[in-house]
Amino acid sequence: MRLPSRRTAAAIASVLAVAAVVFWRLTEPDPLPASAIPARTADIANGEVLYHAGSCFACHKAAKGAANPQLPSGGTPFKTPIGVFYPQNLTPDPETGLGLWSEVAFVTAMARGLAPDGRHYFPAFPYMAYRAMRMTDLLDLRAYVMSLPPVKAVHPPHTVPLLGLARRGVGLWKRIALARPPFNPGSDGSDAWKRGAYLVNAPGHCGECHTPKSWLMIEDLGRHLVGGPHPGGEGKVPSLRGLVTREKYEDASNLTLALQNGEELGYEDLSSGGMAAIQENLAKLPESDVRAIAEYLLSLK
Amino acid sequence: MSLTKRTLAYGAGLSFVVAGAWGAAFASDPAHQRHEAMETVQESFKPLRAIAVKETPFDAAVVKKTATTILEKLKEAHGLFPEGSGGGDSRAKAEIWSDRAGFDKAMKDAQAAAEATAVTAAEADYVAAMKALGGSCKACHDKYRLPKQ
Repeated sequence: MRLPSRRTAAAIASVLAVAAVVFWRLTEPDPLPASAIPARTADIANGEVLYHAGSCFACHKAAKGAANPQLPSGGTPFKTPIGVFYPQNLTPDPETGLGLWSEVAFVTAMARGLAPDGRHYFPAFPYMAYRAMRMTDLLDLRAYVMSLPPVKAVHPPHTVPLLGLARRGVGLWKRIALARPPFNPGSDGSDAWKRGAYLVNAPGHCGECHTPKSWLMIEDLGRHLVGGPHPGGEGKVPSLRGLVTREKYEDASNLTLALQNGEELGYEDLSSGGMAAIQENLAKLPESDVRAIAEYLLSLK
Repeated sequence: MSLTKRTLAYGAGLSFVVAGAWGAAFASDPAHQRHEAMETVQESFKPLRAIAVKETPFDAAVVKKTATTILEKLKEAHGLFPEGSGGGDSRAKAEIWSDRAGFDKAMKDAQAAAEATAVTAAEADYVAAMKALGGSCKACHDKYRLPKQ
């Protein structure tokens, strides 16, 4: 092979340099300013409701063999098509958890998908849904996890190819994905329906599994909650539409009972593909919230 | 016997064997059989649930009969997971065979829970027994069954 001339080499180098600068600028993080945080006293009880509504524990559960298995110290491998993630320790341990995170750092993570040091989070962490959460709910959620006992838990790094570059590249994905407005239940419908719509689509992030994704890994809202391939790679996720016409549940009371009890009362569709853990979290919600979720889901034809 | 007659006789015999084997293969497809058994289990849960949520009154005889059906069908299904019977339309996860001991324990737990439910004589103990039985189904399905569309 003939070596390229000095001039060609210089041209290639400058094109690459320009591309690198453009990439760097396009993927720059966009954290929230501290002024975005209102001054208020957090409601820890409301934070606990959101913690269960989001099934935070289903992904952030303690790794096998942890001393406090009921605390969200993270580290249980989370397998995705692009690699294995080790979810963050959500307890307030200052070294390995959220202990030193300010309110704005927590809200920036949830609503902008950014770590306190400005690195992008992979959307395996469902900030696409969480960004639709109310600011006050986010702050209450932070107050709740900060009220948990701190656990020191060191996790292995994610096993994603070219982790650093891929992480920065998430910034490009965000330019497209976050350009879509966050979910908004609108002003029509009963209060219960709106509450259900909010719980399902914002903290609940049900669409992460129940809505098919485009090739860009963005939820296809034209097929909102119609089910599709399981993101874990095996099996299929059921549709949440037409639950009554397809004779899955009789009515909202029946679905409420199913979400509260799962297969303990023989509702066998709530036990596979990771749904068992979600159902256990939903069972901890106030009954009015479970019923709101049921009413909203049954309105999806 | 003429050649034609012999051919006919062999032909008839052969088609009989082939048809028999085909029928037997379908009827003895373990994935199909265990699915049928589990469908019966699922159906049996309906009267048990109705009692638990107080739609129908507690009746020890109904509970015994229904839970015994569940126990029998669970035992039947447990014997229908031979190596290599996953894949295709089956929702059986590969973990059933890679973690056979764990799967067998989960199946035994379910059978023990069905037995305990069957002998529940007092209404006060019923909901806990039934939930333990349902919980044993859940524990096994969570680990060893694929989700469906």
